[in-house]
Amino acid sequence: MIVLPPIALLQGGTLPTLAQPTIIAVAVAYFLVVAAIGVWAARRTRSASDFFVAGQGIGLWTMAVAAMAATLSGFAFIGGPGLMYSLGMGAVFIILPIGVSGTLGAWTMAKRIRLLGEARGLITVPDAIAARFNSRLARGLAAVAMLVAIIGYMATNILALGLVIDAIFGSGLFAGLWIGMAITLAYSVSGGILAGVYTDLFQGAVMSVASVLVFLFTLKVGGGDAGFAGTILPVDAPFLAPWGKMTPLAALSFFFVFGIGSLGQPHVVHKFYMLREPRKLKWYPLIMSVAVIISLLLFIGVGLAVKSLVVRGELPPLERADDATPFFLLRFTPLLLSAVVFSGVAAAIMSTVNSFMSVGAAALTHDLPIAFGRKVTNELFWGRMSTVVISIVATVVAGASGTLVAFLGIFGWGLFASTLVPSLAIGLNWSGATRAGSVASIATGLVVTLVFETLAFLKVFTFPAGVTATALALVSSLLVFFVVSWFTRHSAAATLDDDVRFVMEV
Amino acid sequence: MTKRIAVGATVFATCCIALAYASAFVPGGGEWGAWSMVIGLATMVVSLMVLGVARRGRGVGRLAVPLAFTFVVIVAGFGAALLLPVETVGGRLVLGLPLRAALVLYGVGLLPILVLPLAYALTFDDMTLSEADLARVRALGVEYRARQGAGAAGGEG
Repeated sequence: MIVLPPIALLQGGTLPTLAQPTIIAVAVAYFLVVAAIGVWAARRTRSASDFFVAGQGIGLWTMAVAAMAATLSGFAFIGGPGLMYSLGMGAVFIILPIGVSGTLGAWTMAKRIRLLGEARGLITVPDAIAARFNSRLARGLAAVAMLVAIIGYMATNILALGLVIDAIFGSGLFAGLWIGMAITLAYSVSGGILAGVYTDLFQGAVMSVASVLVFLFTLKVGGGDAGFAGTILPVDAPFLAPWGKMTPLAALSFFFVFGIGSLGQPHVVHKFYMLREPRKLKWYPLIMSVAVIISLLLFIGVGLAVKSLVVRGELPPLERADDATPFFLLRFTPLLLSAVVFSGVAAAIMSTVNSFMSVGAAALTHDLPIAFGRKVTNELFWGRMSTVVISIVATVVAGASGTLVAFLGIFGWGLFASTLVPSLAIGLNWSGATRAGSVASIATGLVVTLVFETLAFLKVFTFPAGVTATALALVSSLLVFFVVSWFTRHSAAATLDDDVRFVMEV
Repeated sequence: MTKRIAVGATVFATCCIALAYASAFVPGGGEWGAWSMVIGLATMVVSLMVLGVARRGRGVGRLAVPLAFTFVVIVAGFGAALLLPVETVGGRLVLGLPLRAALVLYGVGLLPILVLPLAYALTFDDMTLSEADLARVRALGVEYRARQGAGAAGGEG
């Protein structure tokens, strides 16, 4: 059974060499635009609020597209099509929840997180947990879980970025890692999350257009809308079965982990704080969902087209699934479009890394000190310092062995989901949830994820098909949250301040 | 009352999902495990939505229709994929995909996008966040900061 966090499929190999003048020129142009956005944002970043939540001054379209870009990362364009090529329709279950998850997130969290920011000036995800449960322990545990997960998750993304830069410029992987990290760090440290969201907006818009264009090419190459099935079914019918080459339980498990688990991804939740006008949330699910669907056309189209081409003998079977997108683009689309997609992949990864830098720095300089009863006096300065430290640590980890980095990436995704979903998605909507329930569920998510992922990594045992450590940790933390809250229900009302109670009831 | 039912449904859904994973450890448990997962997923998605939608003393109002629709689409889409016969060469295609895959991709994946975001937007002003709600939150925020300034509010425990 495979459950992969975004980009983890890029582990353990290199992409085909892309070094051609057009691709290099577009990549350089991309990086110059990103640098310009960084300079522009740096001039507008004067406080910790500017640095961490863009001074609560972001418009709806920018926030929605930035949330989309941070959600997808490079996985949608490299790892996803590769997974589709190897697993068939089963891979679709990773993205299938988008039909409901955008609106689900809006109803359960967007309004309440944004209103907590309005009432109290909150800037981090642990801030919201602390306000809801009036608990420094819950804040501290959430911050620790996030920091551990962020290092692992950033490491996988930085490694992927290094691979893409190496493929475009021929720099070598080691140099690619540090060049990618340095570029991202430069605009993140100077412009904070403001630079990040406008970079997201730029790259999200470009990738949406590129995704539609590539999708049209996949339809053309696939031979029309019935061409994929007509080609693939006679040779490999399970590929087009609803579960693909997976068991039904394994495919449905993707839906659970990536659908419900998406409610605990702090780099997306964090963006709700940034919206200038809370009532603009009205159109957030529609914009976010449509933007994601458009960007995912490439995911499905390339996976099906490459399989179809291999069946027809027009492409040799891929040695590595991740080659699906590079091979298709280089052979069947105009070079300029390929260049835009390759550069866009790098930009997509950079935008995700930037989001994690911001969330991680906030946890380090804002949440952990408060959890210990301290307050950092110059959060802007220390936020920038923390961003540098977290980035260097993640890059060093990324330089470690590929399997370890892949493990940390999976660990990171599971940790976000299992530690944050109960306290955020349920805790912010149910006044019967208690401080003890929150603390116990975060601790459960932390321990179960660490223990089961480590045991699985060390091959102490193998889960049966359909079962993953991430899923077990998420189910366990949900059950613990309910059970402990029920046993401590007498204390539920005591933890709620008037403003928080109103935000939960409105 | 609505929230209490929604919490109960979420607990039920979590148990269904736990049962589904447990089925993987039992010989022959795959089929009922998949059904348990389908019921658990549909229930959890909708019960969490109800938790988010329901306001104090009010139910889900006219959002009951899109929420029920979501439940039906998920159960019917995944259920049909479990029940319908395996695809064959020359079988029926829907928008380029075999029927079962089309029901999952276009049904569960796309149909809710045509309904839920619009339902959210069209009920936003009276069921999610009105100007009066926002003004009340801002006033409570001012009160909170005043209490903090006076040192009257309790800190985090």
